[in-house]
Amino acid sequence: MDVGTLVAGLLTLAILTFLYRDNPIYKMAESLLIGVAIGYVLVVTWTNSLMALLFTPLFSRGELWLIVPFALGFLMFGRLHRRTAILSRIPIGVLIGSGAGVAIPAMLEARTLRQLSATVGPVFADGTVDISMVVVLLGVLSTLIYFYFSREQVGWWGRTARLGTWFLMIFFGTTFGYTVMSRMSTFIGRMEFLLSDFLRIIS
Amino acid sequence: MKRLESRHWVFIGLFLVVLLSMLLQVDLGVEVSSDTTRLFDYIENLPPGSTIMISFDHEASSLPEIRPLALAVLRHAFARNQRLVGVALLAEGTGIGYRLMEQVGKEYGKVYGEDYVFLGFKPQYIAAMLSMGESIRQTFPEDYLGRSYDSLPMLQGVRNYDQIAGVISIADGSLTTHWIEYAGNQYGVRVSAAVAAAMVTTYDPYLASGQLHAMIGGLRGAAEYEQLIHQGGSGLRGMLAQTTAHMYVILMILIGNVVYFRGRRKRGEG
Repeated sequence: MDVGTLVAGLLTLAILTFLYRDNPIYKMAESLLIGVAIGYVLVVTWTNSLMALLFTPLFSRGELWLIVPFALGFLMFGRLHRRTAILSRIPIGVLIGSGAGVAIPAMLEARTLRQLSATVGPVFADGTVDISMVVVLLGVLSTLIYFYFSREQVGWWGRTARLGTWFLMIFFGTTFGYTVMSRMSTFIGRMEFLLSDFLRIIS
Repeated sequence: MKRLESRHWVFIGLFLVVLLSMLLQVDLGVEVSSDTTRLFDYIENLPPGSTIMISFDHEASSLPEIRPLALAVLRHAFARNQRLVGVALLAEGTGIGYRLMEQVGKEYGKVYGEDYVFLGFKPQYIAAMLSMGESIRQTFPEDYLGRSYDSLPMLQGVRNYDQIAGVISIADGSLTTHWIEYAGNQYGVRVSAAVAAAMVTTYDPYLASGQLHAMIGGLRGAAEYEQLIHQGGSGLRGMLAQTTAHMYVILMILIGNVVYFRGRRKRGEG
């Protein structure tokens, strides 16, 4: 067995000890996981981003236009002191402004318009009623009514809002079911590793 | 030693159920859904030699669930002689993505640089997706191994998404949404996904609207895909364990409810 498998197996068992109760072995494995993850991300970001895209082109290849992003990034450190904190607003402004400019049209198109056109489809097609379209339409309208708080939810309005809660519950139930399935898959995956690679009980 | 509480017995029960199911090593076989078939057909019907971008948009913690999905898709793509460009838009997916591509590449005798490449990680995923729409070479001047883009034979002629047949996002979170929003909507890239089961309901509306071309989800999705490519893996092996574990959870919910309502009746609360 190679060292990597041995360490992975022992750390998996260490994490599973939490199922009994919180303990120092679990804490050690948890801290190690967080530390290694942060360290890994730091190294990857330094190598692939700062060195490859900024420092090397700027200082080795003399691509002087990179002084602009370098200066903007540097101004972020202004937050470290009260008197220079205002300088950090410049890169934050650039970041938010450009981010919003890019995101708003894209999200409006992908999350609103395209979804809306997919939701409001023809209820009657070829002389028959499309039941699934009726259910979707009913679900969307009743859920929207549930979230409309400017009118008291009584009478037919209230009943429709209650129907909306049923649709919401079905959605939450489905999502929760899939989440349980996801966690089970993770557990089964670790069990498979323990039984095959670590303990070599199954092939 | 602390006395075992009821939750400990529930955990022990689950452990035994999964352990016994895995020791039995029974291949249950699964019914393949139309969503899984759609992704299979998509890769199957691409002309051999098409370039597919595989994006490893996940963290290490979801590897047990993501790995079978990724392996099944990679095996199919390599078996169909497609050329693969790997990227990672989450830092933790970088090493994992490279290792998976290398492992499956070796299985099929593929040569790095000619049949597949791994370009590595790029921070600011939205900027990276948009930038690749203009120039993949400028976004990734070097690959994961530090070789220049121009020195990789497979990438000659691959300038931007126009030369990419589609993107398959292997994700455990919401990154696929950004592929749909930016690469899909703005550059017309065909986006498909292999996602953790917890994300299936998030992406279902995109699948229904046609913004997402195809999707497979969770261990079940991996098992279905393994069945389609006639190659067993962790997905099919884990199906019995997943089925029995779910039955065990349902049983626990029923027992929990019976205990709760009996307790309420005893206390005279209804």
